[in-house]
Amino acid sequence: MSETKQNPRQNTTQPLETTSGESDEKLRSEWTEYEFDGRTKLAVEDLDVYYGDDHALKSVSMDIPEQSVTALIGPSGCGKSTFLRCLNRMNDRINSARVDGSVAFDGKEIYQDGVDLVELRKRVGMVFQSPNPFPKSIRANISYGPRKHGDIDTSLLAKVFGRSDEDAEDRLVERSLRQAALWDEVSDRLDDNALGLSGGQQQRLCIARALATDPEVLLMDEPASALDPIATAKIEELIHDLAEDYTVVIVTHNMQQAARISDQTAVFLTGGELAEYGDTDQVFEDPQSQRVDDYISGKFG
Amino acid sequence: MAGATRTRLVREDTSGADAVAALAVGVASVLFGLGLAAMFEVVALTGALAGVPTLPLLGGLLLVQGVAVVVFGVGSRFGAVETNPRPDAGIVAAVAFTLIWFVVGGLVASQVLSLGLAGWLLGAILTGAAGFAATVLPREDVGSTLPAGVVTALVGLVFLSGYIAPTSVWDLGWAQKASLTAEFMVPVVTVFCALLTGWAAAKAYGGFGARGRRIGAYLLVYLNAAAIVGVLFALVAFTVFKGVPGLFRGLTFGPGVGPESTVVLFGASVTFSWPVYWPFAMNGVGLLNDLNGVLPAIVGTFWLVVGAVLFAVPLGVGAAIFLTEYAERGRFTQVVEVATNGLWSTPSIVFGLFGFAFLIPRFGNGKSLLAGMLTLGFMLLPLVVITSREAMLSVPDEYRDASAALGVTKWQTIRSVVLPAALPGVVTGTILGVGRIAGETAPILLTMAGGVFVPGSQTADVIGGFQFTAAPPFVSNPELLQATSALPYQLYALITAGVGASGNVGNPDQFRWATALILLIVVLSFYAVGIVTRYYFRRKLDYE
Repeated sequence: MSETKQNPRQNTTQPLETTSGESDEKLRSEWTEYEFDGRTKLAVEDLDVYYGDDHALKSVSMDIPEQSVTALIGPSGCGKSTFLRCLNRMNDRINSARVDGSVAFDGKEIYQDGVDLVELRKRVGMVFQSPNPFPKSIRANISYGPRKHGDIDTSLLAKVFGRSDEDAEDRLVERSLRQAALWDEVSDRLDDNALGLSGGQQQRLCIARALATDPEVLLMDEPASALDPIATAKIEELIHDLAEDYTVVIVTHNMQQAARISDQTAVFLTGGELAEYGDTDQVFEDPQSQRVDDYISGKFG
Repeated sequence: MAGATRTRLVREDTSGADAVAALAVGVASVLFGLGLAAMFEVVALTGALAGVPTLPLLGGLLLVQGVAVVVFGVGSRFGAVETNPRPDAGIVAAVAFTLIWFVVGGLVASQVLSLGLAGWLLGAILTGAAGFAATVLPREDVGSTLPAGVVTALVGLVFLSGYIAPTSVWDLGWAQKASLTAEFMVPVVTVFCALLTGWAAAKAYGGFGARGRRIGAYLLVYLNAAAIVGVLFALVAFTVFKGVPGLFRGLTFGPGVGPESTVVLFGASVTFSWPVYWPFAMNGVGLLNDLNGVLPAIVGTFWLVVGAVLFAVPLGVGAAIFLTEYAERGRFTQVVEVATNGLWSTPSIVFGLFGFAFLIPRFGNGKSLLAGMLTLGFMLLPLVVITSREAMLSVPDEYRDASAALGVTKWQTIRSVVLPAALPGVVTGTILGVGRIAGETAPILLTMAGGVFVPGSQTADVIGGFQFTAAPPFVSNPELLQATSALPYQLYALITAGVGASGNVGNPDQFRWATALILLIVVLSFYAVGIVTRYYFRRKLDYE
């Protein structure tokens, strides 16, 4: 891992024992305390997630600042995707999952009765690991969300009564595709099936689809893991631009990617604990936890 | 691999030996075709082909074929032909040849030498052992050609010698008076020997070894596929040939030759005559008809299928949506699944009995079109549930996740993402089900009646039968409650009527075959509609 600093303990004679000894390291709360300027968009407090008997996420607390990119990194199975899915309550869709704790969106608790999931997910959009456009036209993919929310209506009845929103739909499609840097590539074939696009284009279409509902937060679960380097570079550039208007939370396996695109980084370690959270430069250059240091320098995970 | 020579990387130009082997494969295919043709009596054993009597022709071809295969194998053994055989022909070939030679030995010992039970058993065991040894002991090139070639040459000799006449009959001596005719046995043996030597010749063409085995297997697979298609084609062609004379009897074209129809539009009625007169499809049976037909049964079958589909598809798809999207997977869904599978394999006569005992008393105590529709609908329902459920389960969860993450409710997701993606599967299931119910006889027998000859007055005019009434339910359709006929049942009635099927329809045999043909046509047109629909929905999903 080229981006990381030299590990001072790398030359010890028994690195394995050292690592296993360090895994008992007591996590300290000041390592996850992160002071930032600006407003808190999402405030997570003592979040626990269980899948059946499996304790997947252990008492995680972190504040995510507005209009920035937050990267979640960590080894496989450490709970970073679980954490991400808690932020728009997608874990509700898994029968065995149970969530304890609190997540506040703009200061409002989302884990309480009476939360409108439709409204929450409109404001907190999500992009998945593998591109998953619907088997519909590019236009229909973009306008799917707003249509179902009733923001756009081009049905036969709407046409008959002269309140069809075709112009609004065209504007929305163009705006979303431009935001996702896809407009120039597909503007002449909006009515083609989205499955005919390349993998990278499909993923940007999914980002455009998420942007079309006008969210405030965009959650991304390893959005570039299934893509080639060129498509990845485009997605990374896009994420960087999106952070001007949106709060982006991104899960990634790729530490260089996290270092390149994020403002702050949270490191999860095996067992579902948040080990360290702070400014990206600081986490990568000078991690405070020995285990995080080992992980970043490639000693395990 | 001891004994195996090195395989050449590049095969040079076809040698003379390859040409011989290829020719043998060709002869085998011709024999296979001839055998099948003789089996379906396209080629008469008593007749002649190209001036040569059929039976000696078959015999000669078999003899040449058998000798050619043996010569090729032995030639390969002594290095005259370059091949890459394995040390032996393998256990499957050994078992097969053992059985074949066991039968050959037994037949010769009992039929030709007239030995007793112990004698023929001993002979059979001895020849079986010889076949086993001839397959296993020599190298693969001899082991897979010699036993096959000798059997074929022997059969050829028997056919040539005139020991079997085309009209021979063997009495099996069983209590049931079963017998085998040469007309049946000669084609069967020919086809079998053609397969055997064709396989050996194909192996020889591939130079034995792995390549030879592959080519041998290909030949068997292709001949098998060709035979299946051929049998299907023969079945349809047979029905068509028999049915066409009756079907198109009296068909005339020209302005005003057809029956008169009246169309009522906004109070104004227009009467016109069809420019085509097709008695079989436009008439019922009546004393005053010039030519009789099966119109009531055609219309009955059409409305039956339409009614059953209209009843079963919405219910079935709804049930499938509940089972896949809403019900939690567990004991309950398992029970429902087992129950639907069981219902689908329930015999149709049971459904018919249900319709007879449950539906008919509730629809005016008479057999009716409606009762038939519902009974067939019940029959169709389980398959629609099963296939729709499969189709919905195969819609990727990513679509549902993506939709939920956009804040779209479950029902909207089902309606706009899951159902469109599952539609081709639903249509496929419905096509399969229609194929079954359209040909059902038993439920119609019990719920709809009809008869041997159905008068034209029993034609169900379902669309024209709707009437508005002053009292609830404000609409009635006496046509739905009328007993009418359907093609499968009419066919059954025509066949069982026997001599009673009098001159009322002219030639009863023609009438029957024409009915069978039109049933085939009606079912195939339902298929065609279904396939076009599925193609349409699939094209909408796939990118072009």
